[in-house]
Amino acid sequence: MLKQKNENKTMTTPLIGVSKSILKIKELIHHVADTCLNVLITGETGVGKEVVAQCLYIESERSSKNFVKINCAALPETLLESELYGYEKGAFTGAHKNRSGKFQMADKGVLFLDEIGDMPLALQSKMLHVLQSGEFSPLGSEQEFKTDVWVIAATNHNLEDSMAQKRFREDLFYRLNIIKIEIPPLRKRKEDISPLIEYYLRLYKSEYPGNHGEKPGSDTLTKLINYPWPGNVRQLQNCIKKQMILKSWEKIFDELPKEEVKLSTSTKKGRKSKKTKTLPDTKNADTPASIISEFVDLSTSSEKLFEDISLKKIKKLASDKVEKEVIYFVLDKVGWNRSRASKILKVSYKTLLYKMHEFKVLPPV
Amino acid sequence: MTDLNRVLIVDDNKDILSTFYEFFNSMNYEVKTAVDGLAALKILKDKSNCFDCLITDLVMPNISGVGLIAIVKKEFPDMKIIAMTGYGDQPGALASEAEADIVLFKPIDLFKIENTVSKLLSENSDNNEKHD
Repeated sequence: MLKQKNENKTMTTPLIGVSKSILKIKELIHHVADTCLNVLITGETGVGKEVVAQCLYIESERSSKNFVKINCAALPETLLESELYGYEKGAFTGAHKNRSGKFQMADKGVLFLDEIGDMPLALQSKMLHVLQSGEFSPLGSEQEFKTDVWVIAATNHNLEDSMAQKRFREDLFYRLNIIKIEIPPLRKRKEDISPLIEYYLRLYKSEYPGNHGEKPGSDTLTKLINYPWPGNVRQLQNCIKKQMILKSWEKIFDELPKEEVKLSTSTKKGRKSKKTKTLPDTKNADTPASIISEFVDLSTSSEKLFEDISLKKIKKLASDKVEKEVIYFVLDKVGWNRSRASKILKVSYKTLLYKMHEFKVLPPV
Repeated sequence: MTDLNRVLIVDDNKDILSTFYEFFNSMNYEVKTAVDGLAALKILKDKSNCFDCLITDLVMPNISGVGLIAIVKKEFPDMKIIAMTGYGDQPGALASEAEADIVLFKPIDLFKIENTVSKLLSENSDNNEKHD
């Protein structure tokens, strides 16, 4: 147990950023860290949900106790259940001795439930019971244990949608959603990119003193800032690490997935046009498939796949995606002045509002 | 000047917020408003403020109404709390669990809510007199 706590202390990363949304999250953390009210952290993959959970823990009165993490998507249902609640000797074949679960390990501390949106329904009702009563019993045990755990959950799913599809329990959602922390994707808080590069460059340099990471030049930095970062901060971290080996930001930028780059730079007089044109038949042989997979689920049977593929449908999805990016890009450039953006985009104000609504384009919080 | 009753109204719908503000103001209350739980908490923690009653929506960004009620009950136990919700039973049940004094379901009649506030506050002053 002690080991787990110490490991976590060294893993702790501060929340880096200067954008309004990150500053607001920091302020929120400061105000709620001592309340021990259930927290739900949402955001795309790689935005830093665990970093926020750790910050809450560090600022709370529970920071001297354990921070226990479990990934609800990584384990099959039965294993997840025994990991969470533990088991008694003889509860099932192979249970040779008692084993305590994460709830017990996190007692008086924090239990971080990562990927809560992927928790199977049966376990959701058990989780609800524990959150309501503060009691649980290990598998194969009749004894109820009292638990004092601060539950922080995270997900990259839209749980409102999951509830509508009956994949997530409404009562559990409201019980977790007492404090909601929504972390916007990196492309919606571009001003954080430069401080993030600076922070991680310094961190990796101190971890690997033999390597020579360098700051990107101003041109490259502009390109990096305009890149949409589908993998968010985690993707940026990987690029910084790679840069320390390759020693060239240009190379790193060239290796980033091109179809995304094409989107973000399409408004910049086709600066990258030469590279993007030759894209399908060069380095990345799997790129056409990966482009298609954005719009059609390629993992299904070919029968179903052929049913799903429709040029008209894909054209609409692809153009929606580009339109959304362009609308966001222009709005961002004009400080979310919609009437100015509509003039630049050469559409009516009404059309722009309609499209913003359709594509759920919202100004950063 | 006589002491006016002070209410803090919290709702992420700005139209509702301004309607409530105008109404309670006209009914001779001292009113402050906040657009979400965090904004409300900052107002509450500002020592120059002091409220008799909190009227809060439940489903809001950052700190939900349920979260706000739990914090207020702990830090300002004398403050009366009215929760309002338009999201079915779940948030309402959680608000009761967090010990809101009254839970009302939207749409809410303004005169009814003012009546509720005034009753709650008179209970409060009755109790205080008894204690005195």
